[in-house]
Amino acid sequence: MIEFMILPFIACLILTGITVYFGIHVIKREIIFIDIALAQIAALGSSVALVLQETFTNSHIHHAEHAAVRTPDYALSLLFILIAAMIFTLLKNKKIKVPLEAFIGITFAVATTGTVIILDKGAGGDTHIHDMLAGSILWVTLHQVMRLLIVVFVVGLFHFIFRKKFKALTDSYHNPEEKLTNPKLWDFLFYFTFGFVIIEAVNIAGIILVFAFLIIPASISSLFFTTWSNRFLTGLIIGITVSFCGLYLSWVMDIASSPAIILFLSISLFIGIIILVLRMAINRKKKLPEVNIK
Amino acid sequence: MIDNLLFLSTPITMLILLAGILSYFGNHILSRGIIFIDIAVAQIAALGTMIGLLLGFAETSFSVQLISYAFTLIVIGLFAMTKLKKQAIPQEAIIGIIYCLALGLAMFLAEKIPGGSNYITKTITGNILWVTWKQAFYSFLVFAGVGIVHFFLGKQFITISDNLNKFPFSPARVRLYELIFYITFGIVIVKAVPIGGVFLIFILLIAPTAAATLFTQSWKKRFIWSWIIGIVGSIAGVYISYTFNISNGPAVVCLLGLTVFILAFIKLLSKRFNQPA
Repeated sequence: MIEFMILPFIACLILTGITVYFGIHVIKREIIFIDIALAQIAALGSSVALVLQETFTNSHIHHAEHAAVRTPDYALSLLFILIAAMIFTLLKNKKIKVPLEAFIGITFAVATTGTVIILDKGAGGDTHIHDMLAGSILWVTLHQVMRLLIVVFVVGLFHFIFRKKFKALTDSYHNPEEKLTNPKLWDFLFYFTFGFVIIEAVNIAGIILVFAFLIIPASISSLFFTTWSNRFLTGLIIGITVSFCGLYLSWVMDIASSPAIILFLSISLFIGIIILVLRMAINRKKKLPEVNIK
Repeated sequence: MIDNLLFLSTPITMLILLAGILSYFGNHILSRGIIFIDIAVAQIAALGTMIGLLLGFAETSFSVQLISYAFTLIVIGLFAMTKLKKQAIPQEAIIGIIYCLALGLAMFLAEKIPGGSNYITKTITGNILWVTWKQAFYSFLVFAGVGIVHFFLGKQFITISDNLNKFPFSPARVRLYELIFYITFGIVIVKAVPIGGVFLIFILLIAPTAAATLFTQSWKKRFIWSWIIGIVGSIAGVYISYTFNISNGPAVVCLLGLTVFILAFIKLLSKRFNQPA
C-alpha cells in the first residue's frame, strides 16, 4: 500500500504548498475562478497544437497519445497562457469599470467552447471536459511528480525572492491609488507564473482538485488570520492533513481520490466555521469587542 | 431560405427570451461581483438530479425535477444569507466553494449510478437547436412570472446591488429581498441551463452587461444596452453558426465573449487617445 500511495501523497504535498500560497493571493484579489480559466486556456492551446499538427502532417493523433504531454502542445499552451496573462494585466485598469472576474469568466466560457468547436465540432466535447475536471492523482507517475517539483520549485523560489513585490501588489489590489514600481510588470509575472504552475497541477490532479486546494484552505485561514505567514501556515497544515486523510479514505473505501480529498476539505471548512461562531459567541458573552475577522 | 428561417425561428425565439431575462439579471450579478453564481447553481441542480436518480426515480420523472428544484432553491436560499456586515470571505469565494463541493459530490455519486459520469457534464453543452415551441412557451411563462416580481421589487434590488457589504434597509427586509432575488434567479437558471447549456447561459448573463458597463454606469442604460447586445449577439451568433456549420451555442458564446474583449481594448485605447499622457 505504502509504495502505491507514496507518489500521490508527495504530489498532493507539493500541490498544497504552492496552491495555498496562490490561494491567498486569489482570495485577496477576488479572482476566484482564475485557475479554471487558465487551465482551459492551456487546454485550448494544446487543442490548437493538435489540430495544426494533424493538418500539416495529415496524420491522426490518438487520444491516448494526446493525453501524454507532447512538446508542441506544451509550447502552445504556454504561449496561450502568456497571451492571457498579458490581457488580464492590461484589463486591470481604472478606466475599465468591469471586475476582472467577469473577464476571467468570459475567458473560461470562450476557451471551453472554443476547444469544443476545434476538437471535432462538438462531438466528444463532454468527455474531454470531464477528463480535465476529474483528473487522476492516484495514477501520477514519478516523471510527472518530478516535473511538478521543478516547476513549483522555480516559481516558488521566484515568488520567495520577490515576495515583497507580489504581496504589495495584491494588498493594494483594491485601491489603485497606491504607488508601486512597475505594477503592470509584476502583475503580468504573477499571472504567468501562476499559469505555469496550473498547467502542471491540472495535468496531474484535474481542475476541480486544484481549484479546491486553491480556494478552501486559503478561505479557512482568512477566517482566522490576517498576516500572510499565519494564513500560509494554517493553509499548509490543513492541506497536508486533508491530503493524507483523503488519500487514506480513498484507499480504504475504494473511492475516487479527488472527491475524497474535497470531502475532507469541506469538513475542515465546517470545523473552521463552527470554531469561528463559537469564538464569536464566547466573546459576546464576555462583552468583549467582537473579534475582527477582516 | 424560408425553410431555414422556419427551422431557426424556434431557437432564435428561445435565445431572445433567454437574452431578455439573463441580460437583466447579469447587471445585478456583475454589480455584486458574483460572476460564477450560475455555474454553481447549474452544478447544484445537476447534483439534485443525481440524488433523485439515486433514490430510484426515472430521469425525466416529475419527482426528479422536483428534487432538483427543491435542492437548488435550498442551497441558493442559504447562499442569500451569507451577506454579512463584515465579509470575511468574498461571496464569490463562497460560490467557488459551493461549486467545488457540488462537483466533488457529483463525482462521488457518479460512481454509484450506472452511466453516472454523464450527468456531471450533461448540463455543459445543452442544445438550443432542438428546442420546441412548447419548451419556449413554458420558459416564457416562467420568465414572465419572474419578470413581474422584479417589476415590483426592481428598485429595492438595485439599491441592494449598489450597497455591497451594507444594509440599506433593515436587516430583516434586506434578507427577505435577497431571498426573493436569489430564488427567482435560481428558478430562471434551473429552467434555462438544460435548454442552452451552462456556457451559453453564462455568456448571456455576463457578456452583454460587461460590454454595457464598460461604457456607462447608469442602471437604465446598462439594462437597455445589455438587452440590445444580448439579442443582437444571439441572432448574429446563430447566423454565423448556420453559415459556417458549427454548433449554435458555442458560436454565440465565442461571438459575445470576443466582442467584450474587443470593446474593452477599444475603451482602453480610445481613452488614451482622448487624454494624452
